[in-house]
Amino acid sequence: MEQIIVNGLYLGAQYALIALGLTLIFSLMNVLNFAHGQMYVLGGFVTYTVVAQFGLPFIVGLIASAVVLAVVGAAVEKYLFAPVIRKSKREESTMLLAAGIAFFLDAVILLVFGEKQRGVPKIVNGVLNWDFRIIMPYDRILIGVLAIAMIAGFILFMQYTKAGRAMRALAQDRVAAELMGVDVARYSMLGFALGAMLAGLVGGLLVTITGINLGMGGPTSIKAFMMIMIGGAGVISGAIAGGFILGMMESIGLTVLAAYGDITYLMIFASLMVFLAFRPQGLMGKPWG
Amino acid sequence: MTQMLTFRNVELYYHHVYALKGVSIELNEGETVALIGANGAGKSSILRAITGLRKIRSGEIHYMGRRIDGTSVADIVRKGIAMVPEGRRVFPYMSVKDNLLMGAFTRSDKADIQRTLDSVLHRFPRLKERFGQQAGTLSGGEQQMMVIGRALMAKPRLLLLDEPSLGIAPKLVQDIARAIVAISRDEGVSVLLVEQNSRMALSISDRAYALSTGTVVLSGDSKDLMGDDRIKAAYLGGEL
Repeated sequence: MEQIIVNGLYLGAQYALIALGLTLIFSLMNVLNFAHGQMYVLGGFVTYTVVAQFGLPFIVGLIASAVVLAVVGAAVEKYLFAPVIRKSKREESTMLLAAGIAFFLDAVILLVFGEKQRGVPKIVNGVLNWDFRIIMPYDRILIGVLAIAMIAGFILFMQYTKAGRAMRALAQDRVAAELMGVDVARYSMLGFALGAMLAGLVGGLLVTITGINLGMGGPTSIKAFMMIMIGGAGVISGAIAGGFILGMMESIGLTVLAAYGDITYLMIFASLMVFLAFRPQGLMGKPWG
Repeated sequence: MTQMLTFRNVELYYHHVYALKGVSIELNEGETVALIGANGAGKSSILRAITGLRKIRSGEIHYMGRRIDGTSVADIVRKGIAMVPEGRRVFPYMSVKDNLLMGAFTRSDKADIQRTLDSVLHRFPRLKERFGQQAGTLSGGEQQMMVIGRALMAKPRLLLLDEPSLGIAPKLVQDIARAIVAISRDEGVSVLLVEQNSRMALSISDRAYALSTGTVVLSGDSKDLMGDDRIKAAYLGGEL
């Protein structure tokens, strides 16, 4: 039982970070970033390159992932999303663009990093064994704690800094934020960079545990969208709740349902469909309109 | 009196439909000027043209001796023009405190911002009571007070008010009117007031322009306009 909860928290913290980036981008620009999973994979490969190829410390790899993805996010917003949003009133345009970027990033990752599964050496050795009730390798604990610290840092940033306040304002009322003197173009770019950076950071964190490969992008995007559906789109608390709920469900599924075969995600999808039929806006979401 | 804001023959279109057809108005320092007229007469378009939310097609807008049409919204705010938009547009999931702080977004001196915040809370004590509450949970009247306070947080020299009485309980409309008078008196700001409630607008302004389908049809001292037969018939419903 304790083991299931700890596994769920560990997974949930990673998931919540991914969902936070996705929901930030959605709430600021009304863009569904289908390329979020690919950004996560790119972050993993950057950390892999810095740590396993160049032999630099893990923290350097993590910072490199954050910086690279922030730059990629900013560029994608400035040169692709912003012009499309300016020219097209239709929401499909940005969806198609996001899907196109997902394929493009997949191709870039294949060209630059290849199709092999990559990992980095363990950053800490040893396993915590608490009376055989909780068994958890130290590196997983470290990564889980780092993820939770990043979530806390993100919330503090959004809540208490001027830039965070401006982004919340922008998400809630674009015109009013503009009338307060917020440079909408600049903050949209900043928000997209921040969202992509979060995806990259999770990639960098998880490459130490599960490794990374080209095929992980699409499924990660799907998981991220599931979390948003569970928690409610565009709401910070919803992304966090969605992330932890999915992590917990996966953890329970892998332990309890393992005896019946690999049906965890089948069960999760089925229950999500039922849940959405009753609460289409998600747990914390506001009904549209 | 020095001239603060001047419109010279301004035309503004929404796609192919005109909203302003050669409008010329002016506002002097310290004045409260009202724009009255029916829905769609172009009153709000004038405010949107000033803030840069809408680009004008031709004509010129001058503020403090400088031409400002074509300037970005953020720069207009930095020049000392703050707008209270129609429909209030509070940030509903942010606290009253954060809403007010957003008003000071273009300022950086923290001590100075705190002084302005104190004076806004002193002017609207109700906001102090609701300080930590989400703005979306306030009543319409409280929200209107808050967005006026939010605009004052920018320390403006020119305050633009778009329909501050819209959707407000009648007995609160008077409170808002009094607040506007007090603000222009105490803070030394000039006020450009757009109102469908012409009676209220004329009673608290120095001068007024009456607009109809994108042009100025009448202008003059508010006192005189209040007694004008044409104004009575068109905007005051004859019950004056």
